[in-house]
Amino acid sequence: MAANTLGSVMVVGGGIAGIQTALDLADSGYYVYLVEKSAAIGGVMAQLDKTFPTNDCAM
Amino acid sequence: MADTYEPVIIGFLCNWCAYAGGDLAGVSRLQYPPNMRAIRVMCSGMVHPNLIVDALRKGADGVIVMG
Amino acid sequence: MSEVKKVDGVEGDFTVTVKKSPRYIDMDKCIACGLCAEKCPKKVDSEFNMGLDKRKAAYILYGQAVPLKYAIDGENCIYLQKGKCGACEKYCPTGAVNFKDAAEEVQIKVGSLILSPGFKPFDPTVFDTYDYAHIPDVVTSLEYERLLSASGPCMGHLVRPSDHSEPKKIAWMQCVGSRGFNKCDNGFCSSVCCMYAIKQALVTAEHTTGDVSQTVYYMDIRSHGKDFEKYYVDAEKKGVKFLRARPHTLIPGTDGKGVKLRWVDDQSQEHYEEYDMLVLSVGLEAPKDARVLAEALDIKLDRYKFAETGSFAPVTSSRPGVYVAGCFQSPKDIPQSVTEASSAAASAAIALSSARGSLTKEKTYPPEIDVTSAEPKIGVFVCSCGINIAGVIKVDEVVEYAKTLPGVVFVENNLFTCSSDTQVMIAEKIKEHGLNRIVIAACTPRTHEPLFKDTLREAGINEYLIEMANIRNQNSWVHAKEPEKATEKAKDQVRIAVAKAALLCPLEHISVNVVQKALVVGGGLSGMIAALGIADMGYETVLLEKSNSLGGNAMKLIKTWKGEEIKPQVQAVIDKTQSHPRIKVYKNATLKSAVGSVGNFVSEVEANGETLAIQYGVGVVATGGSELKPAEYLYGHDKKVKTHQEFDALLESNDASVKNAESVVFIQCVGSREPGRPYCSRVCCTHSMESAIALKKMNPDMNVFIFNRDIRTYGLREDLYTEARKLGVIFVRYEVEAKPTVALDGGALYVTGMDHILRRPLKIKADYLVLASAIVPNQTKELVELYKCSVGAEGFLTEAHPKLRPVDMSVDGLFLAGLCHYPKPIDEAVAQAQAAVSRAGVILSKSVMPLDSIKSAVTDKCDGCALCVDTCPYNAISLEVYEDGGKEHKRIATDKALCKGCGICMATCPKRGVNVAGFTMDQISAQIDTALAGF
Repeated sequence: MAANTLGSVMVVGGGIAGIQTALDLADSGYYVYLVEKSAAIGGVMAQLDKTFPTNDCAM
Repeated sequence: MADTYEPVIIGFLCNWCAYAGGDLAGVSRLQYPPNMRAIRVMCSGMVHPNLIVDALRKGADGVIVMG
Repeated sequence: MSEVKKVDGVEGDFTVTVKKSPRYIDMDKCIACGLCAEKCPKKVDSEFNMGLDKRKAAYILYGQAVPLKYAIDGENCIYLQKGKCGACEKYCPTGAVNFKDAAEEVQIKVGSLILSPGFKPFDPTVFDTYDYAHIPDVVTSLEYERLLSASGPCMGHLVRPSDHSEPKKIAWMQCVGSRGFNKCDNGFCSSVCCMYAIKQALVTAEHTTGDVSQTVYYMDIRSHGKDFEKYYVDAEKKGVKFLRARPHTLIPGTDGKGVKLRWVDDQSQEHYEEYDMLVLSVGLEAPKDARVLAEALDIKLDRYKFAETGSFAPVTSSRPGVYVAGCFQSPKDIPQSVTEASSAAASAAIALSSARGSLTKEKTYPPEIDVTSAEPKIGVFVCSCGINIAGVIKVDEVVEYAKTLPGVVFVENNLFTCSSDTQVMIAEKIKEHGLNRIVIAACTPRTHEPLFKDTLREAGINEYLIEMANIRNQNSWVHAKEPEKATEKAKDQVRIAVAKAALLCPLEHISVNVVQKALVVGGGLSGMIAALGIADMGYETVLLEKSNSLGGNAMKLIKTWKGEEIKPQVQAVIDKTQSHPRIKVYKNATLKSAVGSVGNFVSEVEANGETLAIQYGVGVVATGGSELKPAEYLYGHDKKVKTHQEFDALLESNDASVKNAESVVFIQCVGSREPGRPYCSRVCCTHSMESAIALKKMNPDMNVFIFNRDIRTYGLREDLYTEARKLGVIFVRYEVEAKPTVALDGGALYVTGMDHILRRPLKIKADYLVLASAIVPNQTKELVELYKCSVGAEGFLTEAHPKLRPVDMSVDGLFLAGLCHYPKPIDEAVAQAQAAVSRAGVILSKSVMPLDSIKSAVTDKCDGCALCVDTCPYNAISLEVYEDGGKEHKRIATDKALCKGCGICMATCPKRGVNVAGFTMDQISAQIDTALAGF
């Protein structure tokens, strides 16, 4: 552990997991860098039509 | 008469789904007739039945509640 | 458009080298009008639609993309490759195209890293017998997902690729690229394919006309998640056919349309079946660049290139300060990914808690001018959005029209109302003309209202004094061919917005004070992990345990499925919990009452005969579950019949009777997956696998049988199933209608069943019969009544959303973890408990929690009839008594912390006795009146 701890976190990957991590951390007082290799976040979940078991629209 | 008849529709659109769908239709450039006038609500559950009756009484040809 | 290249430093102080690829579009200038894409001559396969249709080289990934900003794909752009074209640059109305944009490397300093790079869908081209590459109507599940999607290439009206006709007979083939070593080395189960195939089969009926036939070819159906088994049973009832077979060959159909499938049943009978279309349920592999990422970060991967983690720290990688979440950890579904995401957030937050808040900043605004009683002075700003609006709608006509509307004192047209210089200008106009209500006629409030609200605050007026008229997304873009009607509609939209604006009132900024303490109910492993996490973040925590010892079920287990010893680890957690300076443990404790809401709950607790009051801001419920005591298979009548936990105790004591046993029989799904308990208990297949392997290793000559309905060793647990088979464990399948029978004959125990391959009865003399009995939730009736939280039919507590909020309860400020939510193994229980820590931390990190101002409020017309009290889905409304003119009256009161502003109360009330701020009955009525006044 470094002597001088930084209050920032980098999240690599902007799918549903990355987005949730980034939101939780930003909402708790940490500065977040979200790094995504494609042109938009959303990942595979954004490509899904619906999700079980509720058949909600994935978007 | 039949050729020029344009119905007037009042649409109550839930902010989280139907209104978002309306926006997506725009981004996707889907074309539809311009007969509806949308009223954005925070949930289709907030649309009081009286509001629907009111709209019909005041001349709307149709009311659509989407949510 | 960035990637991590290198990570230097240590936990708490990393320096990350990030390569930013050029976007060739200035994000600040792009208004997402799409002209660049329209004018771009170069077509490229759309990766978002799995190559099923085309996008341009100037593109957005999908319609709802975030950020909604275009990008130019440098590899395919004609200008960037050949130096000519530049159409996008020429037509872009804001000059956002920048061909000189170049890749750059930046160094970013962070305290922790969290990796969630996702997965790679398996590429089935390697299986030449499936001929995916050449049979057009054989598609992967992800391609099929896009074919079904309303935003996909066929707009949700399913057609097959070969001839664009609607398929009527569709098959799914499971485990493609999973549970097999041939050609792919993917020994693991991808965990999600059974469920997505069932979902696709069911949803197909909604995307097609008339009858459709769906058949799923599978090895085991793995519906092991919450409410999944019911979904599977329901699909069967709705006519989806399930055939247990692994087809080996796919043959092109007649004229290159459809596909013929060749398969062999349990009796070695060969069958041929033709389908219009076939979906390969492809598995989830580690991301393509897993190895590169692992090298850049110096973390360890497992044999399948997933990140290596332990059961007691399921999101912690091998390098301190680096965490993993989602499918990079192992293949998993959405709720589990979201849970791990929060779990990783908690792990990072705990490690960096000393620096919390050091790098974030709060914005400050000028004091607000009170305009409540002022006459409306409405300012209307009409956006041209380059040519997006102005190209269809006659903006100048709209401007002139707006000037005639009542209350309007200022109207202006802007080329781009959202640009930052326009914000400064709007603020100036507000001050200059004393504007107190603002109408913006532009795009959608869903993306742009926050920006304009901010401008209003900067100008010193309440941010709720704004109304937007959506003349782009819901007008010019959708009525492009009817410019006159679009202009008329735009005028109506502005008139409706002005009518509402005139009735807008400033809304109060509401907030709740947060008691920065937590209560955890339940002292099993989940409860302790939650308490430790919250306490490690720096908050006082009270832990209640109903028995006289901590540890719960975990203390009855031997090893995790990864082989780690459980008891020493749990003991360490118990010791840490009991000695933590910020945790107060109460044993023999019960919760007696609960009042209040998020941020401020108060409960009475009875512990060891004493009653104490506890005040807390958040609560974590981890009341656990237990192993069902079976009522069948002679359990309780013969001591050779054991449950898993009982047999574990025997195994652990090295009992000679186990060591010398000639045969041990396991029966799966005892009390699970049947009427009354129609869920899969998730952990029992893996548990039987562990016990069976232990027995075979103890004595390779022992006969070990496992009677099962489907083996559900999901994820990397599949390796255990493979190992058990290699060790000679015999698997016998049974149907729920024909369960094995157990009988005693002269003191000997016999299990009789039907061998599913030989089709002959099988009678086994068993030295031990181990029943893989269901996991049932502990009783939570009082707790559910106290908190008014929701609970499912089987007694498991319900989460706020099954996919996206798997840890939050239906009551704000309450979280759940462990078996009270659903049966789960240790690693998942720990992840969920850590996730609860993160979710709790979001609330506890602030002493004051701001709330949205759109809430319901009583009006003077309320007579206390209480109709709305019952209809409120959030239990936010209560009745109160007040005095007026010496008489007692009743009326409702809304708890602002619980209210979500849905307005069901407003729609229920027959007397206009309750209104939602910002969406009052009067405001909506005015919108209706005005809307219809034009006709």
